[in-house]
Amino acid sequence: MSEFYDKLEESFRRSFEPAAPPDDQMQPWGGTRIVGKELPRVDAFERVSGKAQYTYDVILPEMVYGATLRCPHAHAMVKSIDTSAAENMPGVVAILTGKSPGADIPWYGGKPPQSKLFDPHCRYQGDEVAAVAAQTPYQAWDAVKAIKVEYEVLPFVIDEESALKADAPKIHEGGNAAGKPMSMRRGDVEKGFAEADVELEETFCTSVQIHANGEVHGSVIKWDGNKITIWDSTQGVYDACMISFARTMGLPYNNVRVICRYMGGGFGSKLEMGKYTVMAALLSRQAGRPVKMMLSREETMLCVGNRPNAKMTLKAGVKKDGTLTALQLTNVYTPGAYSAGASVGFLVQELYKCPNVMVTESGAYTNVGRARAFRAPGFPTGAWALEQMMDMLAEKLNMDPVEFRLKNFTDVSQTRKMPYSSAGLKDCLIEGAKKFGWKEAKAMPKGDSHIKRGFGMAAGLWMMGSGGPPYTAEVRMFADGGVTIKAGAMDIGTGTKTVACMVAAEELDVPLENIRIINADTALTPYASSSGGSMTLPGLVPAVRRGAWIVKRQIFEWAAGALAVPTDDLEIRGNSVVSRSNPDKKRTLEELFRSKGVMDVIGIGNREPNPANKAIMPFGAHFAEIEVNTQTGEVKVVRLVAANESGRVINRKTFECQVFGGMVMGLGYALTEKRVMDRRTGKMCNANLHDYKVPGALDVPVNHEVLPVDLQDNECNNVGCKGLGEPAHVPTAAAIANAVYDAIGVRPNNGPIDSRMILELLSKKKRG
Amino acid sequence: MMDNFDYIKAGSLAEAFKALSTKGARLLAGGTDLLGCARDGVFPVEKVVSISNIKELKGITARPDGGLRIGALTSLADIAADASLTRKYQALAQAAAAVGTPQIREQGTLGGNICQRPRCWYFRGDFLCLKKGGSVCYAVTGENQYHAIFGGSPCFFVHPSDAAVALAALQAQVRVAGPSGSRTVRMDNFFVGPGKSIDKENVLLPNEIVTEIHLPPASGEVKSVYRKIASRGSWDFALASVAAVLQLENGNIRTASLVLGGVAPYPWRIGAAEKLLAGKKLDKALAAAAGNEAVAGARPLGENGYKVDMVKGAVEEVLAAIM
Repeated sequence: MSEFYDKLEESFRRSFEPAAPPDDQMQPWGGTRIVGKELPRVDAFERVSGKAQYTYDVILPEMVYGATLRCPHAHAMVKSIDTSAAENMPGVVAILTGKSPGADIPWYGGKPPQSKLFDPHCRYQGDEVAAVAAQTPYQAWDAVKAIKVEYEVLPFVIDEESALKADAPKIHEGGNAAGKPMSMRRGDVEKGFAEADVELEETFCTSVQIHANGEVHGSVIKWDGNKITIWDSTQGVYDACMISFARTMGLPYNNVRVICRYMGGGFGSKLEMGKYTVMAALLSRQAGRPVKMMLSREETMLCVGNRPNAKMTLKAGVKKDGTLTALQLTNVYTPGAYSAGASVGFLVQELYKCPNVMVTESGAYTNVGRARAFRAPGFPTGAWALEQMMDMLAEKLNMDPVEFRLKNFTDVSQTRKMPYSSAGLKDCLIEGAKKFGWKEAKAMPKGDSHIKRGFGMAAGLWMMGSGGPPYTAEVRMFADGGVTIKAGAMDIGTGTKTVACMVAAEELDVPLENIRIINADTALTPYASSSGGSMTLPGLVPAVRRGAWIVKRQIFEWAAGALAVPTDDLEIRGNSVVSRSNPDKKRTLEELFRSKGVMDVIGIGNREPNPANKAIMPFGAHFAEIEVNTQTGEVKVVRLVAANESGRVINRKTFECQVFGGMVMGLGYALTEKRVMDRRTGKMCNANLHDYKVPGALDVPVNHEVLPVDLQDNECNNVGCKGLGEPAHVPTAAAIANAVYDAIGVRPNNGPIDSRMILELLSKKKRG
Repeated sequence: MMDNFDYIKAGSLAEAFKALSTKGARLLAGGTDLLGCARDGVFPVEKVVSISNIKELKGITARPDGGLRIGALTSLADIAADASLTRKYQALAQAAAAVGTPQIREQGTLGGNICQRPRCWYFRGDFLCLKKGGSVCYAVTGENQYHAIFGGSPCFFVHPSDAAVALAALQAQVRVAGPSGSRTVRMDNFFVGPGKSIDKENVLLPNEIVTEIHLPPASGEVKSVYRKIASRGSWDFALASVAAVLQLENGNIRTASLVLGGVAPYPWRIGAAEKLLAGKKLDKALAAAAGNEAVAGARPLGENGYKVDMVKGAVEEVLAAIM
């Protein structure tokens, strides 16, 4: 994962030369009129009224429904498939197996490929075996049940340590080691530990977290000859669907149109093309009818990703004055049955100033559902270890946890070896602590009630969040002042459409109501990379601003000629261009456009490269107040405060939504969310939203505050904004863990910290 | 996904008994779980018999003896909000309020709540477990963190009802009707443990219906409480729960009725703790002693030992709060 982002980040600096070279006439905004306000989303009405069409809502004439037969065993070999009974079931129009024409497709990458669309060697409960299309979803599921499969059930392994034993069942030809161990070294950790006055080592474990998106995964397919339209619930109409699909099916990109105007959450699990998209396309071709294939909730719990578990041993050395001298992390994880990124070490390398760092990570394949990217992959997990360790060190040194972190603050990126464009960690720590009342909270007497109050905090950053090219926005102004933005960028629920409209309205000095946005349709909108890595907003809105600025410059040039004033004396007021120095001098937009014989002006805004000598990362510090009932083990989060530095805030409301959502997800990671696998069968026990415990409204504190820290970063891009979605989630779970320690005096090394964990920790403490 | 079924909306109990007398017939009251069970293949559903039209099964009324009659179709939301309950039978109102979500409480009925099927993930999931006719209870050596610490063998599910725990503590009686007449069953005798019957959880015959619940009169100084501990604040079943009904007299406990939920295949009365409390003045030490007594016979499995501490702590906390 880290390597992938390293390459991507590097490419943001060099690969793309925008068509219109950056023009230094475009200055950072001083005061803003619209940007920064707390505004409802531009598509709020559509969303709350049910008019917004998600992939799940798409209904086409003649459309049929797909369903998938999945392996019910943790590990098995398909010996034979008999579809004859299913073919005669009512409503069935197509059946697909690995032997169907065009279905022999390699999957999950690797050389040779790790697997296939339908691999007879099923490596986890949920691996795809066959698919059916029928007139109704119920008929499709009935037909799936009627397919007879003979399995040779194989021995399985579900934990990474057993998987690496010599006699473990072999999941892949090449053995169970998931790639080569990853190792990173900076300085000399031996020397660092020798210099340390205090040395601590601790092992921290996290559980598997499931994405649990609102909208399940799925696609709707319609062929027109050899051209195809795909409505997909995806995080990227281009990279995550169009390009992968075209390559897989041997089609020109141009023949594949992918649309996703509304998306019900992905959190990383929709950053790659699903097997369901290809299966639906093959079924549709066979049936000669559009096919809709949406997964069931159970299928999404089993088959389309998770945040992998980790077993992290972290050793840290520190001097008496609080200076970190060495950090050494060893992590063992499992990506599941197929290869996936699962490293957690970057935060340890980057967050604090530390000259000597060593990270070693290794993984093993197991017979469980495969991991996928999940909101700041590796970071909340890494923070779970690092930020608990920071508190342990602070306690050992008798230092305040906030002071200790400030002591190790750096404004130079430790891995990139260059200064940050804005180094927000310090301000997040200071401002967050002030907002929370940290000093007062820590000074509160503990009391003798069996309900113990605890205060904790943790910090974090996110390695991406700079955004970068290529990102293109077409900004088109009509003669009446109306503006349409076209952008391939996704709105995966974060409010992309809203912030893009606000930025255009700001730059063009027109009301927000004038702006309309068309997005995420590969046939209509320019290329954008997928929405992952918190890169959408800082990728897109600088391009929008540039496009709007080009439009404005064109109109001002026309007006300057007509009014005989310099362009920098002009501004847009209402539907007119007006001279600032002499407001009597003005032309309506309609007059200007007609004088040139046009009805619209189009500006193509390209995202400019990032500065070559700056590291761009967003930061955050989260603070938690909790109560632990030491008799029943219940943990209640009473209050959360987040200070997040992500550059300029475009919309105060969507900013808060992002941060609060990130904290809620972190709360679930800390306290309740955990995939449970049955040891006897290798099957998942809690593949549903009742037994897999996502926090509900009553588990989330009413008392929460979101504090944006804006350091006026004018170097990161022309709008001064950085990504937020992932840094908003990174520190929360660790902050809650630190608060639990503060409450009960026992370190919760392993997550989630449910009532069982609390009672077991307390019982261990009592026994000594 | 789900087998086809017939649907009958019974106009009277007699019609319902008749419709229920065929194989694969299932009773539909609030319907909050029947569809889930059918979809997940927990049991076959060939005919659905709705009783939602039988009006006499709804509502809360006073009984001549000063107690209450609650129709089996009364919604949990109505029970949670009823003034006569919140005043005199607080434990039941609290238990009803602790069920599921607002939607489930509006739709779900008292009768349905006490007759609901277990939530064990092996029973509900894709496992041919002992209770579904298989040969093994997967929970014994499997993922048993939510399973029984009392009365489990040979099947270790916990009864999911909140209301049943409060009703048992309140010494309620269940009216059961069938084609050959009606009978009254004490709440304590309504449930059947897995040692006696593996495939069902109560005394109902396939064509019998719970029609009403009777609460005995509450006189003198009575304190009743229901306390539920769950992983989430809503839409969750109890990890453990306690219903306590104390009859007080001159500052002493005259009688105590203590029942646990979430820890056994049926509401688990803790007689030893009741005996310990009877006739004594409640103080911190007594509450703690009762907590210890409550778990004296616990037999935890590999992953659910924490429930012993949880029950002990909850009993102590509930009693201390009454003090």
